Amino acid sequence: MIVVNGIALDWHEGKTVRDVIREMNYLFPLLIARINGKFIPRNKYDSTEIPDEATVDIIHLMSGG
Amino acid sequence: MADKNMVTIEIDGNSVSVEKDTTILEAAQSIDIYIPALCNNELVEPYAACRLCIVEVDDGRKTKLVTSCNYPVRRPISVYTSSEKVLRNRKITLEMMLSRWPNVQVIKDLAKNAGVEKARYQHPAVDLNSNACILCGLCMRVCEQGIWENIINFTNRGAERNVRMPYDSDQPHCVGCGACAEICPTGAITMADDPNQPFDAEMIRKAGMRITEEMIRYDEEQCDMRGVGTAHLVEIMDAYDLLPVMNYRYGKHEETPKISSDVFRKHFTSGKPDGCWLGCTMACAKAIENFELKTGPYKGERVLVDGPEYETLGGSSNMGIFDPYFVAEYNFYCDTYGLDTISFSTGTSFIMECYEAGVLDKEKTGGLELPFGAKDAALELLHQIGRGEGFGLVAGKGIRYMKKYFVENFGADPGFVFDIGMEAKGMEYSEYVTKESLAQQGGYGIALKGAQHDEAWLIFMDMVNKQIPTFEDKAEALHYFPMWRTWFGLCGLCKLPWNDIEPADNAETDEPAKVPGHVQGYCEFFEGVTGKPQTMDSLVRMSEKVYNFQRVFNLKMGFGRREHDAIPYRSAGPVTVEEYESRQERYDTQLKEDAGIDPTGMSSEEKVALTRKHREAQYEHLLNAVYKRRGWTNDGVPTVAKLMELGVDFPDVIELVKKHGG
Ligand code: SF4
Ligand code: SF4
Ligand code: FES
Repeated sequence: MIVVNGIALDWHEGKTVRDVIREMNYLFPLLIARINGKFIPRNKYDSTEIPDEATVDIIHLMSGG
Repeated sequence: MADKNMVTIEIDGNSVSVEKDTTILEAAQSIDIYIPALCNNELVEPYAACRLCIVEVDDGRKTKLVTSCNYPVRRPISVYTSSEKVLRNRKITLEMMLSRWPNVQVIKDLAKNAGVEKARYQHPAVDLNSNACILCGLCMRVCEQGIWENIINFTNRGAERNVRMPYDSDQPHCVGCGACAEICPTGAITMADDPNQPFDAEMIRKAGMRITEEMIRYDEEQCDMRGVGTAHLVEIMDAYDLLPVMNYRYGKHEETPKISSDVFRKHFTSGKPDGCWLGCTMACAKAIENFELKTGPYKGERVLVDGPEYETLGGSSNMGIFDPYFVAEYNFYCDTYGLDTISFSTGTSFIMECYEAGVLDKEKTGGLELPFGAKDAALELLHQIGRGEGFGLVAGKGIRYMKKYFVENFGADPGFVFDIGMEAKGMEYSEYVTKESLAQQGGYGIALKGAQHDEAWLIFMDMVNKQIPTFEDKAEALHYFPMWRTWFGLCGLCKLPWNDIEPADNAETDEPAKVPGHVQGYCEFFEGVTGKPQTMDSLVRMSEKVYNFQRVFNLKMGFGRREHDAIPYRSAGPVTVEEYESRQERYDTQLKEDAGIDPTGMSSEEKVALTRKHREAQYEHLLNAVYKRRGWTNDGVPTVAKLMELGVDFPDVIELVKKHGG
């Protein structure tokens, strides 16, 4: 199990940052991802696998009027 | 496992793996091998004009000279960047360039590096100017591909070839962004200096150019502001249950795709940049061209619709209308009548809910049938407001007036209309559902001008990121962001280039939500105009003075105390049972986890009441924390001490706040 923005999610081997973003339906483009506090650049979302028990922050910035 | 998309090549004996179709030049740069590349720039497509970037390529069968800036890598090859053939060829090119442009510094430097001190002949078209145009084509490419304008181009042939604006005149369509001048390697293009004599025009231009460069590089993958403007938020807000639907009862709807940004990109919005100001390269204003009106005084005419922006679209879902043609029509007529699309749509959403709840009927509206989704009647109401006729006379006065009017004239239940009439300080709510973000409820309720999100938009920080869990955290955000965003208003600047585009390294800064790189840019804008250096704190300080002064002004006008920061309950939680049940799991969980009440076995009515009690108390706590952080009394009045600290302690101001316990 992993925790994403305070919400518990199932974990499986090979689950990437992109998978989590999809599962959470995070459509917003200005995101900042951290796994256990470590920053993951946007171009690594597809290739970065999340370890079990990880705390994941997907910080949304702001946009719009 | 070998990746099909990767190719490994050798450059001067070093092996490097790159994605297929990377150019040789990019591959070399990725391993710090230098190749002179005068007409190339990452911001634009290669053009292969200067031929300085030639390299020798060996594909195993034969070798050939190619320009590395536009040669895509597709199979394993060996590249030689300094073979004898390459060096000889490059020398010949540089000697020719030097003979033509002997005083241009970049040419002199490149020639010197290649061992060419002086040309042995004079070019027939020699240009002795040190800022001569060397025909690299970077300016016209950045104008066309980077800025999406097409203002400058080459004219004439041969020796007369040069870069010009059409007809050698000032071009009204040139946005004056300066990208062409910035990218020009010789200084051949200069910007005519600003007539209003800023302290340091160069500083302003450089800060602006950083944003322009980010727009060129990242906008498409970030917010696509140039493509669709703020309309991109429609589908995003729907995905997060934040798009107002049917007077803020719900946050999403299955028909949202009908009014999403894709629809407007395809059918309406012209794919051209459209800035509010000359020089703005964010250019997020959008237009629908040639739109045929179906109603009203201009029925049958083809017009240009300025928009729609997000709020206009969110206003439509709020009225339960998911029809792009309706959106265009109401957008046009609001603009034409001088009405705000937010006030009209939020006001009409309120009317529609009242209609469905039986507060209104056909007789009371003068014949208009106005349930949610009634688009023809909504347009007729809009025209009545424009003409100052019929039910339009009541609706046009806004929700605050209507609430009272419905109670006094139609016997409406005051509790109900006050709960669902979405206004604060007399101003209609803009188009975000705030129920799940306490901080945002404060953002709307405390905002000085009324229920607007332009002081603070904290929903993601609060509800999604959970970055500001305590009352103190929320109060801090409700201090910094309103002050910072007020600063844009003080300076007459637009807020969108602050956080609708993001610098590449923003994520790695300490406080990415503040976009520190852009705050720095605004410090430079201010210093460039006035000559006074600034910091993030000093800008916020400027606002704090004005903000507190405005609060006192509100107080003088009868709007500046705690009671005026109250919000309609629909903003904080579910008013009706139906609303509660539509998100039952969420509300039940919150009752248990946040309020410590076990909802098992309770009726929906009981749960609505308990949720309300909890949420209303939370809001009062929030007000306490925010007032404290801002240096105000518990009644929301700036204290004398605070006003003295800020230097706005004028005698009449002090007298007024003292009267209110400040
Ligand atoms: S200032 Fe901007 S719009 Fe005008 S010609 Fe140069 S790049 Fe094009
Ligand atoms: S004006 Fe400058 S950027 Fe444009 S073609 Fe000439 S040298 Fe290149
Ligand atoms: S940089 Fe390749 S031809 Fe100019």
